[in-house]
Amino acid sequence: MILTELKPGDKGKITDVSKVTALVQSRLLDFGVLEGKEVCYKYALPFGGPCMLEACGQCIGIRRKEAMCIQVEQS
Amino acid sequence: MEVALFGNPNTGKTSLFNILTGSYEYVGNWSGVTVEKKVGILKESAGRLIDLPGIYSLNPLSKDEGIATQFLLNESFSVALNIVDASQLERNLHLTIQLLEFGKPVVIGLNMIDVAKSRGIHIDEKALGKKLGASVIPIVARTGKKCQFLSKQLTPREEDAEPLHIDYGEKVEESIDQLVSLMPEDVRLNKRWLSLQFLEGNKVVRENLTSLIDKEQLNKICTELESQIIIEKDTKSIKQYLYAKRQQFISEVVAESVEKGQTSGRTFTQTIDAVVTNKFLGIPIFLLLMFLVFTLTFNWLGTPLSDGLDAFISGPLTDWLKAGLTNVHATPFIQSVILDGIVAGVGGVLVFVPQIFILFFFISLIEDSGYMARVAMVMDRVMESVGLNGKAFIPLIIGFGCNVPGIMAARTIEQPKERLLTTLLTPLMSCSARLSVYSLFVAAFFEKHQALIVLSLYVLGIIVALVLAKIFTFFIKSEGSVFVIELPPYRIPQARTLLRSTWDKGKGFVRKAGTFIFGGTVAIWFLSYAGPHGFDVPIDESFMAVICGYIAPLLAPIGFGTWQAAGALVTGFLAKEVVVSTMNVLYFVPDGQTLTGIISHFYTPLQAYSFMVFILLYVPCLSTVAVIQKEAGSKKWTAFSIGYALVVAYLLSLVVYQGGQWLGLH
Ligand SMILES: Nc1nc2c(ncn2[C@@H]2O[C@H](COP(=O)(O)OP(=O)(O)OP(=O)(O)O)[C@@H](O)[C@H]2O)c(=O)[nH]1
Ligand SMILES: [Mg+2]
Repeated sequence: MILTELKPGDKGKITDVSKVTALVQSRLLDFGVLEGKEVCYKYALPFGGPCMLEACGQCIGIRRKEAMCIQVEQS
Repeated sequence: MEVALFGNPNTGKTSLFNILTGSYEYVGNWSGVTVEKKVGILKESAGRLIDLPGIYSLNPLSKDEGIATQFLLNESFSVALNIVDASQLERNLHLTIQLLEFGKPVVIGLNMIDVAKSRGIHIDEKALGKKLGASVIPIVARTGKKCQFLSKQLTPREEDAEPLHIDYGEKVEESIDQLVSLMPEDVRLNKRWLSLQFLEGNKVVRENLTSLIDKEQLNKICTELESQIIIEKDTKSIKQYLYAKRQQFISEVVAESVEKGQTSGRTFTQTIDAVVTNKFLGIPIFLLLMFLVFTLTFNWLGTPLSDGLDAFISGPLTDWLKAGLTNVHATPFIQSVILDGIVAGVGGVLVFVPQIFILFFFISLIEDSGYMARVAMVMDRVMESVGLNGKAFIPLIIGFGCNVPGIMAARTIEQPKERLLTTLLTPLMSCSARLSVYSLFVAAFFEKHQALIVLSLYVLGIIVALVLAKIFTFFIKSEGSVFVIELPPYRIPQARTLLRSTWDKGKGFVRKAGTFIFGGTVAIWFLSYAGPHGFDVPIDESFMAVICGYIAPLLAPIGFGTWQAAGALVTGFLAKEVVVSTMNVLYFVPDGQTLTGIISHFYTPLQAYSFMVFILLYVPCLSTVAVIQKEAGSKKWTAFSIGYALVVAYLLSLVVYQGGQWLGLH
């Protein structure tokens, strides 16, 4: 399933980030967000706004279309 | 001895820099506050400390990160002081490893111990240091705890350190050996490090290497390794593979040196975030906060203070000076320079100091609390619709204080085109200098709705910037905008830091009063004192009136076709406050009255509003133009930024004035 399908507040394990834009992928790697890591999907802002994740002890904001490219496994 | 600060963004490098050098550089609670190299003198030991922008890895993605990497590669230093956020240890250590591999002596400052402790993280610094082969010193840069001790550990080393050596596996090691053997003897930097960074895809290192080694050969080694690794090791790229290897090493290090206790439930940050980045309340809360700031600045706090100061300067101070000057038998000429020129002009600007400091105080509060990154997040959707990203909103907010640091802050935007756009649009943000003009006019014309009128101008600036961004993106094609932002935990700003940062921003305003405004005022006073027919002429026959009389007709359609207004606008290019001081000189203010009192005879409220709109937009000031030139790096864009502003200002003022008249306003 994709990240945004998680219920707000739920956690999942990332299985694939390779579809995300290269630049965003590099940044996520900087934050330590990559395959195998656990993320918590917090919420998305309205009108297609960005969404907030919590991973590796930090909060990260990314655009929804980017989040929709992240595959996760519910945990 | 040169000590260079390296570390992830927002880990407290600049806080430490300020403590160790006793200077004040810009500190704030978001990633990418420092965007330039800054040099300071160490207080404790002989040497210089160099503050650099924060980086996550040595491969730069944005312009500010590039500065840190370029420094590492091209400039010489004795010790690298690596600041590590103890509450985010694992992430921070990736950079530490790359620094240790570089081979220069590294001292590790383990910062934010207080935060780590509150999250139940305990770090054994001895064990950590032993594992990494560098000394680790726990500090709290916010309070200064142990910082002097750290400073004493910074001693020049005779020898370079033994570089950290991690085994990256057979295949990678082979490629490294190949690359190393291809490099000429006299390479100044560590060859293994260069090879590793190259394989990882570091753009700056790649450029350096292509001047030494044949490009084809380089590419061949890279693609070969990539195909082998991806098949055998089941990873997506060399970069990820190396990352995983380092992570493995870090996990071993952490296992031996870190103890994680229990963390309590919902944190302070989560509670606040539930409200300020709330789905529906996010944007309304931001607007409400801004309105509150303006109301405080104009209605509740700032105006009474400014009025008091104004009454003092135009009343007692002028009287004392006049009495003093008469006592020493100063000539009428000198009296006129001082009273009608300097006191009127410089004093006329200084009366706005209270309001401007209050505004700066609130900007500092936003910067240091952690709200800045949230605003970027909340605004991203709006910014995306005009081809920018939420991060571009940070330069815009800083631009409310002064456009110059605002434009500098655009360096953290990853995409070059988006950065250029932000640089061009930041001057539309209403800076504090423009505030002095608004203060003058709203006090004279819109007594009842001061905060609202001023807020409308700020919002107008933002709207014009957004609309223009949309238009410009048709011409400046973007590579596709991206947005990723780290949201730091909220921190309650310290009073000391807040006051310093307010003062640091505000002192520029006071200093300008002593230089630009002083000089400008004297020149303007002279031009209005002298005329084609000699000195001490009626002001309407002065040089100023004659020269600006030519421009005035052009301004008539937008509501202020007088030579005084033209004069104020022309001199306003120096610095926007000069508009006020020019008006103080040109509209001769009789004793005991203030400019606010008499200006209402010269404008109608509609004309006044049109004038304020024009001031908001018309041209970036001299210092801003200089920064645009530096950041955009092209005369063409600099000229464009002036040109478009003039056109837009004229058109909008025209709409306001003519439209307002049509609606029956005056
Ligand atoms: N709790 C706590 N906060 C700290 C400490 N050191 C710094 N801070 C806060 O962390 C924030 C970031 O500090 P800066 O000094 O601007 O960080 P920086 O590393 O220079 O950041 P960039 O310039 O963006 O790379 C500020 O709000 C500081 O007050 C610390 O030891 N403990
Ligand atoms: Mg800094």
